[in-house]
Amino acid sequence: MASQPQDIHELMRRREYSAGFVTAIESDTVPPGLSEDVIRMISARKQEPEWLLEFRLKAYRRWLRMEEPKWAHVHHPPIDYQAISYYSQPKSFKDGPKSLDEVDPKLLETYKKLGIPLKEQEMLAGVAVDVVFDSVSVATTFKKKLAEAGVIFCPISEAVREHPELVRKYLGSVVPFGDNFYAALNSAVFTDGSFVYIPKGVRCPMELSTYFRINERNTGQFERTLIVAEEGSQVSYLEGCTAPQRDENQLHAAVVELVALDDAQIKYSTVQNWYPGDEQGRGGIYNFVTKRGDCRGKRSKISWTQVETGSAITWKYPSCILRGDDSVGEFYSVALTHHRQQADTGTKMIHVGRNTRSTIVSKGISAGEGQQSYRGLVRVLESADNARNYTQCDSLLIGDRCGAHTFPYTEVRNPSARLEHEATTSKIAEDQLYYCRARGIGEEEAVSMIVNGFCKEVFKELPMEFAVEAGKLLAVSLEGAVG
Amino acid sequence: MSLAAYAERFERFAAALPEAERAARRAQLQRFVADGFPTPRLEEWHYTDLAPLSQRAFEPAAGGNAALAPHFLAGTDRLVYVGGMLVSADSTAPERHSAAAPAQDEGVYALNAAFARDGLLLRLGRGERLPRPLQVLIAGADGAVAAMTHQRHRIELAENTEATVIFQFLNQGGGGLATHVIDVRLAPGARLNLFRIQDERADATLLTRCDVRQERDSVLHAVSFDCGGGLVRHDLNILLAEAGAETGLYGLYQPAAGAHLDNHTRIVHAAPQCRSREQFKGIVDARARAIFNGKVVVQAGAQKTDSEQRVANLLLSPKAEVNAKPELEIYADDVKCAHGATVGQLDETALEYLRSRGVPPAEARALLLRAFATEVLDHVPLAPLRAALAARLGLAGTDAWELEA
Repeated sequence: MASQPQDIHELMRRREYSAGFVTAIESDTVPPGLSEDVIRMISARKQEPEWLLEFRLKAYRRWLRMEEPKWAHVHHPPIDYQAISYYSQPKSFKDGPKSLDEVDPKLLETYKKLGIPLKEQEMLAGVAVDVVFDSVSVATTFKKKLAEAGVIFCPISEAVREHPELVRKYLGSVVPFGDNFYAALNSAVFTDGSFVYIPKGVRCPMELSTYFRINERNTGQFERTLIVAEEGSQVSYLEGCTAPQRDENQLHAAVVELVALDDAQIKYSTVQNWYPGDEQGRGGIYNFVTKRGDCRGKRSKISWTQVETGSAITWKYPSCILRGDDSVGEFYSVALTHHRQQADTGTKMIHVGRNTRSTIVSKGISAGEGQQSYRGLVRVLESADNARNYTQCDSLLIGDRCGAHTFPYTEVRNPSARLEHEATTSKIAEDQLYYCRARGIGEEEAVSMIVNGFCKEVFKELPMEFAVEAGKLLAVSLEGAVG
Repeated sequence: MSLAAYAERFERFAAALPEAERAARRAQLQRFVADGFPTPRLEEWHYTDLAPLSQRAFEPAAGGNAALAPHFLAGTDRLVYVGGMLVSADSTAPERHSAAAPAQDEGVYALNAAFARDGLLLRLGRGERLPRPLQVLIAGADGAVAAMTHQRHRIELAENTEATVIFQFLNQGGGGLATHVIDVRLAPGARLNLFRIQDERADATLLTRCDVRQERDSVLHAVSFDCGGGLVRHDLNILLAEAGAETGLYGLYQPAAGAHLDNHTRIVHAAPQCRSREQFKGIVDARARAIFNGKVVVQAGAQKTDSEQRVANLLLSPKAEVNAKPELEIYADDVKCAHGATVGQLDETALEYLRSRGVPPAEARALLLRAFATEVLDHVPLAPLRAALAARLGLAGTDAWELEA
């Protein structure tokens, strides 16, 4: 079993060091450790109302009584939660490298392969840039357009101040504060994230993306995202970056909540490429995320698409609760593990309403010594007449030291339900490779082509430009996997 | 917790044992008290909670009477156990009964090891062939109070041998608890046909586990039928330890109203070029709860593995529940592994078609159910057994099965 030989304490120490960069006021950095006082301090810093502090404290008290989940098919040394600093000022641009010359050349090489524009490279690498930065003006234009449509798109801490009634109504209504170990931790200490509100009947005029919110560039370890789509509204939200960010942070425990009311549609796409650690499995992010969508309204639809190529460990199950009659849940996923990466990911579809439908398409690719698990649950409750589910999960193995695993749970309590689950595991077909090679295509390129074909069903669900980047990302991530 | 009650029963039970055995068995009892009954907090017991058993007290069973003649199969040899004791009068192969080897186990099966009574011991020497199928009937005594029965059985087939064994679990009455462990070793080229038929009463708890180790080119053909009530858990663990071994697991479950039925299979491909096939089918009606968990593990180095697993369920009542989990855990790349799981109903179009041709609805339904079950029944080559099963499952008709019988 591939365990992580890295020393987590050392990494935690490094993190503290980076927090020490903050020059503003010394008291702005909270010393490592978690207690009620720390939570009170975070809440006070953010000038939060009393009810939110209560929410945090309740979550913290619950978390203290909870145990870290052990069921996932991942291995890592124990995490010392008292060694993490739970609040630090967002890194200032001034602290970053002064120009691209100071950035890790390996990182720049990757950016180049992905075809990322120079300005964006600077942004991703955290280079200190002038105030007159293209995206800033771009962002302002977007903000204006959104405001005209009545869409609210802002940091969640801002939303707490500006729209407290909305946040209070929906926060924790999909992922309760005591939902699971990491969600409870997040509820106690979350520092920022996004809030999106689409009013009744509005079709959001553009794809929303964290890209545009450059003030949120360093989103921190404990993000909290809340998206509410009112009756008849539509939104497509894109999360993540398509290039690897060097980030020393160890643990990312984010929570994402989606609420879709009658006839509303939410499409949530993620391209996750956090630092995966090096070939020996040193370093890298632990990505322990709780994502859940609530199809609260009739005929509502929530669709998750994810391309997961980064992180040392991924532990995430974007889910749909199909509460409204005729609601639809979708999950499309490509997950890739290379070197010593581990991923335990999948989805949950909970059918509650009548005539609810769900589709799951999961493609796992394992190379090097990567370990990859699909873990999914399809539950049909007694009330869910005529529920329908189709699940397909395929795994591709590259090399004889990796692993691919499938753990699909189906729980059915309604006799009108129809469920299908299919899974296959195989390696890249020799004849396909041979065919490509015979036509003069190099082995690495051939593998990349075949893998792209394998993932096509998922890529076509992504917004176009991201589908292109996701394809390139796979090729880059798979480098050195063959030959 | 009243696990102490089990410890107290054990001391009384142990008093009658030879001195030499006591220490080993007591260690097993202590292991059980430490582990306790499994709860849903253990992933392997996610859907089956045995914790309520810790609140109950069972007396170790000590024989009894039961009218089992209607279950005797023609053309077979027989071992009959009632209340954990061999019934010599009904057994035609008493030489196959033997002392249970001391065993080390864990969890609820440590309880079995502590209290285990003798059971089947089938040993075949090189090249030997068991002339007639062996039927092992295991039943509770008539009118028994809540008793517990624990037995261990062993099948050891040497090189190039062949045997057919039928285990039948019947009527553990009076809210009793029974646990059975069947240990199977198949040497190179050995072939075992193993049938398990479970037909328990509604108030019974039956836990069975079968561990099979297969060596080079050995073949296991195992078919399992569940048609009774009660709380039943069956674990079937197959280790394909050497190249060329082949295993086929088939099952049909049709739990009675109120039954809780949990089938767990685990196939470990530890050597290259092994083949496994698995097909389980469920007909779940009337407040029954059925669980199927099938796991296939392909270990590193087990290249050229060929594995296929299918589970299909018919869910026929709003009060019934099906939980299915076909799992794959794969650590080798040159493999062909697939699994599929479905839950659905009888095909409306097929029913409509039959009705349009004058087949009454009830008969049309029965016909489709029979077609569904036949795929598994066809894996039973013994005609008398197949006929008995078809009748018990309510699937018999004027067709080939009865004519053959």
